[in-house]
Amino acid sequence: MSEASSLQTGAQLRLYGCPTCGRVSQLLHPIADSTPLPCPRCATPLHHRRPRSLQRTWAYLIAATILYIPANLLPIMSTSNVFQGETLHTILGGIEELRTGGDWLLALIVFIASIAVPMLKIGALLVLVITAQRRSRWKQVERAQLYRMIDAVGHWSMLDVFVVVLLVGTIRFGPLGGVMPEPGLLAFGAVVVLTMLAAGSFDPRLIWPEEEAPQRHP
Amino acid sequence: MTDPVPSAHAHAPFAPAAARATVTAAALAARHDLVVCNECDAVHERITLARGTVARCRRCNALLGRGHVIGTEKLLAFAIASLLLIIIGNSAPIVTLDFQGVVSQATLPQAIEATWNAGQPFVAVLTAATALVFPLVFTILRLYLLGSLVRGIVPRGFVPAMHMLAFVTRWGMAEVFMLGTLVAVVRCASLTSATPGIGLFAYGAVTLLITAITAAGTHNLWKRSSEIGGNA
Ligand SMILES: [Zn+2]
Ligand SMILES: [Zn+2]
Repeated sequence: MSEASSLQTGAQLRLYGCPTCGRVSQLLHPIADSTPLPCPRCATPLHHRRPRSLQRTWAYLIAATILYIPANLLPIMSTSNVFQGETLHTILGGIEELRTGGDWLLALIVFIASIAVPMLKIGALLVLVITAQRRSRWKQVERAQLYRMIDAVGHWSMLDVFVVVLLVGTIRFGPLGGVMPEPGLLAFGAVVVLTMLAAGSFDPRLIWPEEEAPQRHP
Repeated sequence: MTDPVPSAHAHAPFAPAAARATVTAAALAARHDLVVCNECDAVHERITLARGTVARCRRCNALLGRGHVIGTEKLLAFAIASLLLIIIGNSAPIVTLDFQGVVSQATLPQAIEATWNAGQPFVAVLTAATALVFPLVFTILRLYLLGSLVRGIVPRGFVPAMHMLAFVTRWGMAEVFMLGTLVAVVRCASLTSATPGIGLFAYGAVTLLITAITAAGTHNLWKRSSEIGGNA
């Protein structure tokens, strides 16, 4: 990574890459930081760092962490029939049912999507926001990779929501058998959306704080 | 990628206050020779990529661009196929159950409706949006944008359509829904005899097509519209 030190940044050269259309704009005269700069091609606001990125990420992250508790403790669905009455199922319970049913692979897939991915995502985002807040230069390439990973896998957690919706729609045998969604599913769906919003609010450029200009701070 | 080009304006003095309020497009010159990394702000020189190759950021390893393997005509064909398959995937049952002679089957819209009626409107709307509406809007937008651009026309509402495309690409979850149907079929099979329906296979194909179209990116659409429209 020795060559990385020779790199110049958009902030140094007053260049802005548009996150939507990719156009590179060069600001010809310096302006105040507060002046809005819409991309000439697509009107997306241009920034070297997105404003209030960390505050937004914190807000979504805290909300997701709080809802993560009912999402796992409350049942996400109930099954009922005349012989056994009503049975409640949590996310972990559903994985256990798949495992004892002999579907090891599916149990593992649902475990990864529903338990491992949300926990990893919340944990990884905590590491990312805290290190970004401290303007840390610790393992920057790895943190960039971590950010890309959690942003790419986040939506897979929606798996269990879709499974329950399909079971509710399909298993409709009246008194012989039925499936109903339960409040845990609402909390779990909200966790998935909130963690995706958190990852989307985090500006990965904060992993790379600008060097302080040495001549200004002798 | 080679070294970035330093700016000639790096040490220009600050503009007077009166000039600050009016930042026009003229103050933002296009630098088509450069690429700025979205994920770390590093500046690179733009290079032409050979088919099938990708460019990654030297500093953070983010994907900067790829040399496209799939041509425009193929992308259009993919989008048409995807539209037809989404229609089939939503009108055909995803799974058919046979419980001691009582047959039950559901399409995706029926499952969404049942969830709504069961007192979970938020979950129903979330599923409708991510598994059905966003993949459908994604496909229609791709058809609309690409269909016009290949004929040398910048379609009406090009910029808002591109913003919407970015949104539905991020929030569309056809591939997750596809895996969800498989898990649901297996879970049903533990209770009763379950047969995967046409809808499941249609969604499987939609997943592949959307993945292929998404991998082609949007850079070519912006580039073509700039060439045709002669703007920015
Ligand atoms: Zn733009
Ligand atoms: Zn980068």
